[in-house]
Amino acid sequence: MFVLRRVLWLGPVLLSVSFITFVLMHLVPGGPWDSDKTLPPAVIENLNRRYGLDQPYWQQYLSFLARALQGDLGLSFIRQNQTVSEILLQGLPVTASLAVLALVLALVTGLTLGVVAAFRQNTWVDYLCVAFATLGASTPSFVLGILLVLTLALGLKVVPTSGWGQPQHLVLPALTLTALPAAYIARITRSSMLDVIHQDYVRTARAKGLAEQVVILRHVLRNALIPVLTVAGPIGAHLAAGSFVIETLFAVPGVGRLFVQSVLARDYGLIMGATLFYTVIISLANLAVDILYAVVDPRIRY
Amino acid sequence: MARKFSLHIWVSLLLAFGLAAGGCAQQSGPAAPPGGAPPAQGSAPKGGEFRINMSTEPDTIDPNRANFTTSILVASQVFEGLLTYDKDLKLVPGVTREVPSVANGGISSDGKTYTFKLRSGLKWSDGKPLTAKDFVFTIKRSLDPKLAAPYANTLYDIQGAEAYNTALGTKDARKEASDAQLAALREAVAVTAPDDGTLMVKLANPRPSFLQLMALWVAWPVREDIVTQFGEKWTEPPNYIGNGAFVLARWAHNERLEFTPNPNYHGQKPNLDKLVFLMISDANQAYLAYVNGELEATAVPDANTKLVMADTSLANQTVRYNELVIFGFEFNAKSPPFDSAKVRHAFAMGVDRNALIEKVAQGVGKVAYSPVPPGMPGHDASVGKEFDFNPAKAKQLLAEAGYSDPTKLPKITFSFTDTSSNRIRAEFFQGQMKQNLGVEVTLDPLDSRTYQQRFNAGQFQMVYGGWGADYPDPDNFVPELFKTGSGNNHTNYSNPQVDVQAKACQSETDEAKRLAACAQAQKLVVGDQPWVFLFYRERFWLLKPSIKGFQVTAKDQLPGNRFYNQLYVQK
Amino acid sequence: MLPLSRGTGTVALELPGARGRLRRGLWSDALRRLLANRLAVFGLAVIALMSFIAVFAGLLAPHDPTFQDYGAVFEAPGQNHPLGTDNLGRDTFSRLLFGARTSLTVGIFAQVILVSIGLPLGAVAGFFGGKVDNSLMRFVDIIYAFPDLLLIILLRSIFGGSIFMIFVAIGLVEWTGLARLTRGQVLNLKGQDYVLAARAMGARWHEMLARHLVPNGISPIIVAMVFGIPRAIFAEAALSYIGIGVQPPTPSGGTMGPEGYQAILAFPHLILSPALAIGVTTLAFTFLGDGLRDALDPRGYR
Repeated sequence: MFVLRRVLWLGPVLLSVSFITFVLMHLVPGGPWDSDKTLPPAVIENLNRRYGLDQPYWQQYLSFLARALQGDLGLSFIRQNQTVSEILLQGLPVTASLAVLALVLALVTGLTLGVVAAFRQNTWVDYLCVAFATLGASTPSFVLGILLVLTLALGLKVVPTSGWGQPQHLVLPALTLTALPAAYIARITRSSMLDVIHQDYVRTARAKGLAEQVVILRHVLRNALIPVLTVAGPIGAHLAAGSFVIETLFAVPGVGRLFVQSVLARDYGLIMGATLFYTVIISLANLAVDILYAVVDPRIRY
Repeated sequence: MARKFSLHIWVSLLLAFGLAAGGCAQQSGPAAPPGGAPPAQGSAPKGGEFRINMSTEPDTIDPNRANFTTSILVASQVFEGLLTYDKDLKLVPGVTREVPSVANGGISSDGKTYTFKLRSGLKWSDGKPLTAKDFVFTIKRSLDPKLAAPYANTLYDIQGAEAYNTALGTKDARKEASDAQLAALREAVAVTAPDDGTLMVKLANPRPSFLQLMALWVAWPVREDIVTQFGEKWTEPPNYIGNGAFVLARWAHNERLEFTPNPNYHGQKPNLDKLVFLMISDANQAYLAYVNGELEATAVPDANTKLVMADTSLANQTVRYNELVIFGFEFNAKSPPFDSAKVRHAFAMGVDRNALIEKVAQGVGKVAYSPVPPGMPGHDASVGKEFDFNPAKAKQLLAEAGYSDPTKLPKITFSFTDTSSNRIRAEFFQGQMKQNLGVEVTLDPLDSRTYQQRFNAGQFQMVYGGWGADYPDPDNFVPELFKTGSGNNHTNYSNPQVDVQAKACQSETDEAKRLAACAQAQKLVVGDQPWVFLFYRERFWLLKPSIKGFQVTAKDQLPGNRFYNQLYVQK
Repeated sequence: MLPLSRGTGTVALELPGARGRLRRGLWSDALRRLLANRLAVFGLAVIALMSFIAVFAGLLAPHDPTFQDYGAVFEAPGQNHPLGTDNLGRDTFSRLLFGARTSLTVGIFAQVILVSIGLPLGAVAGFFGGKVDNSLMRFVDIIYAFPDLLLIILLRSIFGGSIFMIFVAIGLVEWTGLARLTRGQVLNLKGQDYVLAARAMGARWHEMLARHLVPNGISPIIVAMVFGIPRAIFAEAALSYIGIGVQPPTPSGGTMGPEGYQAILAFPHLILSPALAIGVTTLAFTFLGDGLRDALDPRGYR
């Protein structure tokens, strides 16, 4: 019931996002045919007609909605021989495979570091974990990326510098992509673990003489996971939407580059399509997080 | 303690970096001069591949719809026009038997009728015969308002062309045309094929550079049955049928394009097995891919110039050449204080071009004083030298213009597209004005479309911009940029004397008189300084020593792209 | 699952009546604990030093950060230029000092905007639940999904590329993560026994929010904010990488990153100094955040 209601909510959310985006993209100065070499007015008119941009705005918006309802997101200007749906569907598996890999890596590294740090609070192990997390969070991805290229690709020659198509192409972008979320998850895990460890019920559980593993698994981890889940959802969604910097750096043909490219090129069709696609991903990720909340913490009711 | 640790990490990364950088130098192979003369046909070793970075996905690879370098680059491997260029950018026959001239009867004495004689036995890459009818179809297709080809207007000299392409009017003066009317207009375009081997084109007015226009991508042949059958999907392999040296074998969107030799090409068939264009947008990464042996050629990122020159083996792999591209600081002649020629002259003399090229750009580029680049008819190195760096004279001119106190100048905003290289040049200009003339300049970095819209609408005071030739003729420079009301004259510059000479530069049929008019127009323009002409762009690339037969021209989309069929790999 | 009733002993101290009397002691306690934490003091000292540098950059810098010396382009670190010079012969050390001003301003003010939107929205949503929660969270979905790049380009085209614009833009689009995190914390705490007790005793909602839920749920939020400061600096760097950065010649950690990146292979000192500066700043904020969280904890177990 709850899930159904949330899925139904997707409709109004998508409608609002599409409207705001449509208005914004036509408010922003510059159009798709502006270039350093000026096109003659007649040529611009031909282009506008070809893509339906000669119609009044309200009509363009309504016909976009009508087409979108049938699953047709229209044509792109920066990749003229493909439809927006084709472009998104080509980029999706690429970005998704990177995102899944990076998220798993981030959760494994982040949770491990966070839990270890919390149980060894104020020891050198803790400081080591904190230092790693800080480093991960304080190195811009293009710097980290190029350092990985210099060490793993040029130094050790185990992976290619960039590109796509073979499994080894995943390594560098996934590692670069993981650093920030892993650091973030480590920090959040550590601090929320510390909170929970000192809660009364944990002390009580220990006092009752429960085995340490049981205490950790049943009481500590379960409760400490809630803030981690809160950030893991948006992190997952962010990863699924792709990263402009990392996809650009490693020449990965994913969807992350498309958002920025479409906005910079005023590719109206691709802007709308990519935004709606992103909205669906974000909403579903957040829904998944809310369901997980309820599973982890039965006290939460919606 | 944690702090020490983090410093330690940095140090070890630094070391790793140092080692890796050291590694680069060692594995770049034995020194050998790049390129070299192409061997006689047939003697070059066959096989191998050549991988080069084209940076970004092309917006289309339909030659008739091409508007950007990437599109033209891809199409140039797969299509060949009526005429093409040799290594000195002289027109040579493509699919034609000879370049039409008045002497050989290809051009009528009034300069209005052109006859192209095609070679015999021409074939498309799928083996079907290529005839003059295909060119009739292509030229009319490029003019079809429904195709909306961005370069359609380069064909407007043809009788009936402009009427057909502009049948739908403009945004402010819309027109409607029925399908029947459009068909009639299409019929009226004066391009015909009296037989399979002959193409006739009639012009509305004489246009001395018309042959150059017929070498452009709007006139590269596409196949009617393919375009009709596959629609938008005709550019996907294997539908992408052409007549050039290569065929497109694979297109992984946003990642790579792979070409193989076209067995049906009439000219020199490629020696390579495979030609690969990769789409690596990050310049540093492309450079590292080259160092790591994943590319056979790469551009050298600006900051790496000295690194390459100092490296004995890399220094021997460099390919440097000037392009037909001029860059400059452009004034809006209607925006005070730049309505005053004295102020423009003062600003021009306040800029130390040598510092820009020799120091900031580390020697890459060639200092310019006039718009028409070297390597093109009409270049004159002596023009504009009087506007060389001279801060004392500049201050004096400012005083003569009424600004003995430079802080009294109106607020000056300098706009540019926000890229790293533009940023450096904009900051350089700002520093020059402040340090040499005491003039404060506000910088206004913009995203490219915002910049272009303001630039095209004349909403700016000063910009950093450039111009590259579509074809190597001075009529693509001075009249295009500086004639009153010309489509690409954005600086509101207007000088009736220039207009007279510019018109002659475009339409005078006596070639000597025409070139004299072009030269005169350039002299007048430089005297007014609507731009501070800064430098001609230079390409600075690396090429693996194993690649031979590499041949560049000043108007390449990627270095050497006109002659990739001549490349071979020396084992 | 947990022996909830046993916890009431601690909770009694937290009840509204008792709290007023305890408050002064609580804050001075917190300060004492903060100052006893060596890492936190170190963090505080670094931040104080950074702020001092930011304010007095003009007096401390050995050179004019915008002065171009073409005789000294791309110089390695040396006597005259302790951190070398950049592509226009400008002194990197001086630019770094002035850049600290820009980056700190961006980081802190973006956080202020972000927190003042995200914290109340998230807390209210989590506390009230039901319809309020649902509509607020769908609003968050909309803001999260819509293309922030469009908004940034639009704001820039209207107001120009000043530093003020950059942090307003970052703050306006980046608050949604904090809102979701706060909501998650409040949802979690709402079920805790002392809150149930307070509610049973008739405490009003704003009292409960302000006195129990926000103070007790604050630690992950502080961690998120601390991470938010370098994230805002990164966001600025990413904008420069895309080509919509801060107006030159103003130096900033964000723009010096991508500028240095262009030269990373030939002149690594240009990227290492801003990257190190960002790293140290992040570390300082992290230690301070940790210290604050420990000090503010009402149970004072650390």
